[in-house]
Amino acid sequence: MTWVHTWFGLVLGFVLMVCFFFGSLSVFDREIDRWAIPETRFDAQPMPSFDKVLLPALQQLEPDEVDYATNMPRLHDPAKGEMTPRTELPVDEYWAYVTHRDPVLAAGVGYGVPLAKNPEDHNHIHKNVTLDPRTGAVLPDDKLKIGSHWFYPMHYSLQLKWKNLGIWIVGLAALMMLAALVTGVIMHRKVFREFFTFRPWKRTQRASLDLHNLTGVVALPFHFFFAFTGLVIFASFYFLPVTSTLLDPLHKQHEIHEAAATGLPHDAAGVPGPMSSVDAMVEEAKRRWAARDMAGEVGFLVMHHVGDANSYVSIYRAGSDRVALVGEGIHFKTSTGEVLSEDPPRTPVSEVNEFLTGLHLQHFEHWFLRWLYVLGGLLGAVCIATGFIFFVEKRKSQHAKSGSNGSRVVDSLAVTTVTGMVMAAVGMLVVNRILPADLLGKADWEKAAFWTVWGLSFVHAYVRSAPVALGLFNPAWREQCWGVVVLSISAVLLNWATTGDHLIKTIFTDTYWPVAGVDLSLMACAMVSGWAALKLVRRERGVGAQSRKIEKQPKTDTSEVAHA
Amino acid sequence: MPEAIYLTAAALLSLVGMSWLALSMDVHWAQVKQIPLADSRPPRATLKALGYAALFVSLLVCLVADRPSIAALVWIMLLVGSAVAVAFALANRPGLLKVIWP
Repeated sequence: MTWVHTWFGLVLGFVLMVCFFFGSLSVFDREIDRWAIPETRFDAQPMPSFDKVLLPALQQLEPDEVDYATNMPRLHDPAKGEMTPRTELPVDEYWAYVTHRDPVLAAGVGYGVPLAKNPEDHNHIHKNVTLDPRTGAVLPDDKLKIGSHWFYPMHYSLQLKWKNLGIWIVGLAALMMLAALVTGVIMHRKVFREFFTFRPWKRTQRASLDLHNLTGVVALPFHFFFAFTGLVIFASFYFLPVTSTLLDPLHKQHEIHEAAATGLPHDAAGVPGPMSSVDAMVEEAKRRWAARDMAGEVGFLVMHHVGDANSYVSIYRAGSDRVALVGEGIHFKTSTGEVLSEDPPRTPVSEVNEFLTGLHLQHFEHWFLRWLYVLGGLLGAVCIATGFIFFVEKRKSQHAKSGSNGSRVVDSLAVTTVTGMVMAAVGMLVVNRILPADLLGKADWEKAAFWTVWGLSFVHAYVRSAPVALGLFNPAWREQCWGVVVLSISAVLLNWATTGDHLIKTIFTDTYWPVAGVDLSLMACAMVSGWAALKLVRRERGVGAQSRKIEKQPKTDTSEVAHA
Repeated sequence: MPEAIYLTAAALLSLVGMSWLALSMDVHWAQVKQIPLADSRPPRATLKALGYAALFVSLLVCLVADRPSIAALVWIMLLVGSAVAVAFALANRPGLLKVIWP
């Protein structure tokens, strides 16, 4: 048990740190987006009028150049004829998505691929955009939504996109985390007797184990459910990919059967059809939800087979008022506006799945619970970080005696995934505010800055880790804590300097909590890091004085220095 | 606004409940009362009963504030936060717990 807990915890702990830390940031991903893209700092908006705002905006779009260049040759069958030029691809699908926290709207168009290799497949070239729902204006593409498009995917994919490697690694880490939780509880038998035990005055090895046990046991339900529900969300990816490989023909057949059962046309008729008012459909959908005692706003809207007689519109409810992600979809015939079908009542299995998925994805509008989620995520990060520290503290004196570099490497990696990761995230925000808004490829520079800061934090941690090989503390912990302080305060000041949105304004005079919240969190981060750095200075001085004292004694033992 | 009041009440009840449960343990009773562990004689049954009751009432208040699915999550996370807060109070300012059991 101990072996499994220690070694799997260590190796995959570095991955889990990324999941927990960036998962915590993802709770407020939209707010971080507002901070990073100042022109989107206005109040959250409901789904705008499709007829008056969305449709005119979507009709102006053209297929994405990169998507066309990458996927069109793959999807098109040259034996059937010439490839259709990009700007002449027919529109097949419109969609729009918004949550209760979004001032801006995610929307897009799916363009059909004429003369496709496999006409049965969903052959689409896309154009995805961010719209200002007040005007329908398209926001520039090269503004990176740092929260929802960088930190959020980081926590489940590590941004390793090659063969979806990151998603697989995170899945393995989540699975092993479940094992680590079980083995941890078995190893730590006095779960309840030591429920409130934290003794920071004891030596680092004992204090870090206390904190490891405390944060692991107290937040056990949170850790368990988030690892488990993360696996549930990706279940079809991890465990049942056969539906899109071996069972693909059956899958397609099932789609056709389902379409026949629901009355929703699976294929376009090939005959042009008119478009009636989608706004009227939205009103009808809202009326039907209210009749079910589930009054709500639209979260997702999609029109299939655009311009065809078989076209239909699916409207889903936003899940702001409950945990379970229940869309309560209502489907309308585009040409007449009549209701084609309503999603059937959910099965018990589906109810459980939607609750577990919703528990993790937290679409609900409940700020207090969101902050409690951040607390849970950070406790997970503390649990893993203290596990690293305990690992190093337990072994570094032995390694010092044997001349092994093991503790030094683990300690450097621990510094990189604790303070280094925070520096990378905050450093990215600093670079976001330093670079001009209209800089070409600004998003790429921000991503490069993130990886560079993180990479340099490892180099720094390793270069400064020589004392660990002597059984002492790595000064990189303290130095990177100061780095976090400097970067966090710089980010807040730069936000003020570049946008005029200082904390007095965003809290009191022109209240805007998304930006105030990010600034306050950065200030809290600076304070905690500064406090930790000062504590480390004191502890290092204590160890230094102790080691000097021991050096003067005739029989010096390195292990004693480590335990001082 | 009433929701904020309910949630504040639930958080306080959870914190007080966890504090009573901590005080029902010899080691933490001794820590708070600043007496040797050997002399630690907390009114264990009373403190445990009060602690669990406070946590239960906290759940009820959460259920008043929100629909059951959200209330359950809020309550569980409040327990987590309260337990950590009590552990940190015991580590740094154990005397604070005298407020709920002078």
